[in-house]
Amino acid sequence: MSQDVFAGGGDVGRDLTTVNWANTPLGPPDEWPQSLRTAVSILLSSRFPMWMAWGPQLTFFCNAAYRRDTLGRKYPWALGRPANEVWAEIWGDIGPRIETVLTTGQATWDAGLLLFLERSGYSEETYHTFSYSPLRDDDGTRVGMLCVVSEDTERVIGERRMATLRDLGSDPSAVRTEQQALAFAGSQLGRNPHDLPFTLTYLFTDEGVRLAESTGAAPDRTSGWPADGLVEVQAEAADQALIVPLRQQGAAPYGFLVAGLNRFRALDDNYRGFVELVAGHLAAGIASARSYEAQQRRAEELAELDRAKTAFFSNISHEFRTPLTLIMGPVDELRARTDITDDSVRAELDVIHRNGLRLGKLVNALLDFSRIEAGRMQAQFEPVDLANATAELASVFRSAIERAGLRFEVDCPPLAAPVHVDRGMWEKIILNLLSNALKFTFTGGVRISVRPDGDAAQVTVSDTGVGVAADEMPRLFERFHRIENAKSRSNEGSGIGLALVKELVELHGGTVTAASTPGEGTTFTIRVPFGDGHLPESAASSGSIETAAAPYVEEALRWLPAPVSKAVNEPSGSPAKVLVADDNADMRDYLTRLLRSAGHHVQALPDGQAALEAARANTPDLIVSDVMMPRLDGLELVAALRADPRTAGTPVLLLSARAGQESSIEGLEAGADDYLVKPFSSAELLARVRANVELARLRNHHARWRTALVDSLQEAFFVSDADGTIIEINSTFTDILGYGPEGLPYHPTHPWWPDRDTDPEGFQLVAEAFAMLVGQDRGTYTIPVRHRDGHRLWAAASFNQVEDPDTGRRVVVGTFRDVTAEHYAVQRDSALATLSVRLSQAETLPGALLGVLPTLGELWQANQVYAVVFNGSGSPTLFTTDPQARWEGLPAERRAALTALRDRPLLTPVGAGVALEHPDGTLVLMLELSERRPFTEQDRTLLALLAGHLGQGLQRIHQIDQQRETALALQRAILGPAQLPAGFAVRYSPATRPLKVGGDWYDTVTLTGGRIGIVVGDCVGHGLQAATVMGQLRSACRALLLQNTDPAQTLSALDRFAAQLPGAMCATVFCGVLDPATGELTYASAGHPPAVVSHADGSIDLLDGGRSRPLGVRAAAERPEAQYTVPGRATLLLYTDGLVERRRQPMTTGIERVAAAVQQGRSAALEELATDVMESMAPAGGYDDDVAMLLYRHPGPLELDFPAEATRLAPLRTSLRTWLARCGVDPTTTQNVLVAVGEACANAIEHGHRQLPGGLIRLRAAATAHDLHMTITDSGIWKTPQPAANPHRGRGFTLMRALMSEVTVTTGAAGTIVGLQARIPR
Amino acid sequence: MSTPLTCTTGRRPDGAVVLTATGEIDMSNAASFAAALADTASSGGGEFVVDLTAVDYIDSAGLAAIFPHADRLRLLTSPMLVPVLTIAGLDDITTVSS
Repeated sequence: MSQDVFAGGGDVGRDLTTVNWANTPLGPPDEWPQSLRTAVSILLSSRFPMWMAWGPQLTFFCNAAYRRDTLGRKYPWALGRPANEVWAEIWGDIGPRIETVLTTGQATWDAGLLLFLERSGYSEETYHTFSYSPLRDDDGTRVGMLCVVSEDTERVIGERRMATLRDLGSDPSAVRTEQQALAFAGSQLGRNPHDLPFTLTYLFTDEGVRLAESTGAAPDRTSGWPADGLVEVQAEAADQALIVPLRQQGAAPYGFLVAGLNRFRALDDNYRGFVELVAGHLAAGIASARSYEAQQRRAEELAELDRAKTAFFSNISHEFRTPLTLIMGPVDELRARTDITDDSVRAELDVIHRNGLRLGKLVNALLDFSRIEAGRMQAQFEPVDLANATAELASVFRSAIERAGLRFEVDCPPLAAPVHVDRGMWEKIILNLLSNALKFTFTGGVRISVRPDGDAAQVTVSDTGVGVAADEMPRLFERFHRIENAKSRSNEGSGIGLALVKELVELHGGTVTAASTPGEGTTFTIRVPFGDGHLPESAASSGSIETAAAPYVEEALRWLPAPVSKAVNEPSGSPAKVLVADDNADMRDYLTRLLRSAGHHVQALPDGQAALEAARANTPDLIVSDVMMPRLDGLELVAALRADPRTAGTPVLLLSARAGQESSIEGLEAGADDYLVKPFSSAELLARVRANVELARLRNHHARWRTALVDSLQEAFFVSDADGTIIEINSTFTDILGYGPEGLPYHPTHPWWPDRDTDPEGFQLVAEAFAMLVGQDRGTYTIPVRHRDGHRLWAAASFNQVEDPDTGRRVVVGTFRDVTAEHYAVQRDSALATLSVRLSQAETLPGALLGVLPTLGELWQANQVYAVVFNGSGSPTLFTTDPQARWEGLPAERRAALTALRDRPLLTPVGAGVALEHPDGTLVLMLELSERRPFTEQDRTLLALLAGHLGQGLQRIHQIDQQRETALALQRAILGPAQLPAGFAVRYSPATRPLKVGGDWYDTVTLTGGRIGIVVGDCVGHGLQAATVMGQLRSACRALLLQNTDPAQTLSALDRFAAQLPGAMCATVFCGVLDPATGELTYASAGHPPAVVSHADGSIDLLDGGRSRPLGVRAAAERPEAQYTVPGRATLLLYTDGLVERRRQPMTTGIERVAAAVQQGRSAALEELATDVMESMAPAGGYDDDVAMLLYRHPGPLELDFPAEATRLAPLRTSLRTWLARCGVDPTTTQNVLVAVGEACANAIEHGHRQLPGGLIRLRAAATAHDLHMTITDSGIWKTPQPAANPHRGRGFTLMRALMSEVTVTTGAAGTIVGLQARIPR
Repeated sequence: MSTPLTCTTGRRPDGAVVLTATGEIDMSNAASFAAALADTASSGGGEFVVDLTAVDYIDSAGLAAIFPHADRLRLLTSPMLVPVLTIAGLDDITTVSS
């Protein structure tokens, strides 16, 4: 007997015939019982993977699908062998299950069971969903079992890897430290020990390689990369590892990842791709963290530097000077007291006093240095009679030098021209040199002389002292350098005196040199040019040096061996700052000497104007002024002083040669406090001075207190009058803006306003703020202003209108802070925030760029922003704020500028442009600014910062993009069949974006006999969780349908599966089996909404039979089943409740709506109908629940391919007749369609394929409720009918047109398509 | 294999020559139909009848075989072929059998 039992089994069938069956317990096939033969032929004909076992040894059979998917290398060896031999390695798992099936007759079900198969040459990790059911022999005894299996390995592993990649990307914080980023990644990688048994993340460091992170069975974490390259891990974890670089764009890798490989999985492309994606994630994390850390560090360093500088200056002034003042004040008070008679106490007080002076001098010198260094020393140069001024200074030292027993020679004949010097600085220069000379000279003398020397004045100070050794000379002017072991009067000294002299002389544009012979003496020579051509234009006096000779002299006197008597008088009371104004030099000298002898600090000036300016810059305690003076006389001076609020309270003592009552009344009326007529005795003058000072001090106590308070403010302070003229400022004001009190009053427009032409926006801001200042009672504003030296800063001011208690006038009192740093920080933060938002909204790289460019444009008010991507090949890609612009359309110079930027170092702005990394190459950003907009250092820093962020953002988007593509591919694999049977259309809309899967699903399964299983189901919930459950339910339902081909049984079996699968309970499923030939539909519903059928005539059926509980819900009764026949041209709709369920609406309303939508569209093509239904049912904001929808129109389209031969026409008509009958078309229309299609096919045979006999013709016919659509496609050239040449073909065409409602002919290069359409009478 | 078609010639009781076709006529067998028509036309003297009552389908190739003899024959047909014959302009020589 033939072995036709294996017929239809293809290759497997052939291989089965070669098995020596006689050697098996089954014996030769011709002796097999009918039941075995039936089972084997079912097995072989099925396209779903199956195997079976039969007989006492459970002899093994399988079909082609099983061989392909699961059996691997065991084929064909396995055929006919005992099952426990074939599957020896998993017999422990499956043996008991088979035993159960054979003893109880109950089918088993396993979903996603892990089995280690030996089918590929190694033990392989695999997952299977399968069911064992019993097989019975002819008399009903259980003799074997059938296994229907679906291998899930790819799905299970794919989901596992996807989860790891998703978790890696779920880091909630975008930036963090490198170690944190790696630790986070490590914790995620550690959760997937299957694909990554262990990982070791090594980073390259300067020293070599460092193990930064490890997971799984890895060695201890402290080790570096072992020299021999061998890493010990637990043996069972993995026996192979993959090393992948942690790539860094445009540079060497950050390090590498050693990923242990699952020993039960082959290293295929998917596995390799997964590990590389993991490495990509790690590298991105490192890049992000490092860049963040670097920025953080840079910002902190800058801030620290700034803080240190600020702290230094304020500490010097506040921490040193304030306590010094508080020491010196009380000491002076104590020394002035007459009731202290104890000499030893007085001696101690003198020690304190002297050392206080000395300390003050040192602090001032240090402060001078700091100012010079910071460029803040601004000299107030004025033309000075240098000989006179120098002689005067020298005279201060005369007594000290003569007391030391030295000669003092002052040789200062008048010079022909004045020299421009800052008086304070000049004093320092001369006093330092003199005190130096005195210090090192023991015999002989000191000489100071002033001479013209060409175009300069030359001042020499020479002594007959110890001299300086030749090898010390080069370091003489070096700061803090002291000549050791030199014989001197004192060991005191900081080593800064001569250095300061050098710095100060150089500030004057002059030079200082020294010549010395040890044992003979030293000569210092200073040269200062005449005139002011060599001086800087700016000659502000802010920060000018305060000098008083007293500390120098006092200090020098202390060096002398035996102070016999005091050279100066005891100060009368506390010393005062006295300003002397007299045009007569002798008088001036006399007054100066006299007042200094009384311990006062004196500044002498030759006229009223100079005195006024000096008084405004530094208010004195008393002004002693002559009445008759050039420029501004004494009375005018008094008037000017009284008009200025800062000097209104300063007492003035007028001196006049004019005697008489009238003169004195005139002076007092003008506002002078006292009046003295020359000649006067020195005692009288000193008494008047003392009295006025005391009086003024009493009177001005409040004013002085106020001044002290205002000056001590850390904020800038100003007073303006009603029209906005600034009339008073404090020292912080000067520090911030560079404009000092000497320039008062400042009339609007103030000199610190931004320039109207070059910075119109800034000017506008200030103008608005100014309008507020003069127009409102109080307010605050933040404005850009210009420092005197030109740099821009931002100031935040607040002001209040008050009434001047003295004058009753309304004035405005205000303060402001320098908020430049804060302003740029805020600007930077908000720009960064906007940039981040734009980046996070973008899904693609071009989208990100186009989103970011307007932000940059707004930030800098740019006319246009260019972003050009150079990817190294072809034309660069241009993105701009102008959508019309093209790279080729840009001007050549613009293109050249952009290209030049590309080659610059990354993130280093040049002008208003910068280059940065782009995933495709290099990105160049360039701002086209309005001509007047300056691009400052801050702008460049901000641009670099934003560019850095943009680069990171682009990189992140690029990676997310790649991951999304991978994820989409994985999701599509879960969702549903790639190929639908003819006549079906489906739609899917998940609730959770960006997922493309959810808890709902649809499925079609091709069953035996051409029947089609149709499933639509809905798991509880949505999102990834529900999608995972859905994927498993879908697979299970598919496998069960293949096994049962019975909807009710399938659902019952699915109940048992759902009971074991968390999350599958209460899922609803509509399961049907359709015979596409007859339209017969058997169906059962597990709690699912009814299917809808719309007939061709518009009537509606709801398929609400066969209903029962949702999945997994226990009930005693069997699941019912219902029958329905889908009539011709009716449309069947299956859906999930997301399509119809709306809040506050019964579901029946939704079902009626969707039924109406299908009814409306029953004449439309099926795909068109599917789109229309989804759109018309969608709520206003889109679907908020998962929606799965499946449409079927009966019968499915007819599709036939046949060779272009006339003899094929009759069978074609037979098929078409059958199909038309299924469509329920009347006989006349049927005949019309047959003739028209016949003519079209005849044309295709005759004309289309004349040159190509045997070519294929394709007929496709589809029905809607009211129409039939046919297309006949050939691959030839179909000539336009020429009735004359071919009368009967012309007739054929006439027939087509007459019989059909529409005929179209489309001829193209690939062939001709005839479209026919017939209307079906109602 | 051509589409099945049989043609037989006979005489009606009234003596008219009748060509009876059974089956379907399309481009694969139109030539044999044309030959049968030519035979019938040449055998008798005058008009003859072509009985298409048992023909389920005829296309333009079959019609093309009829046209040369249209002035000498009458067609007998079932209602199913009426639209085609009408469109072809043969309705004036056609009788529809009930």
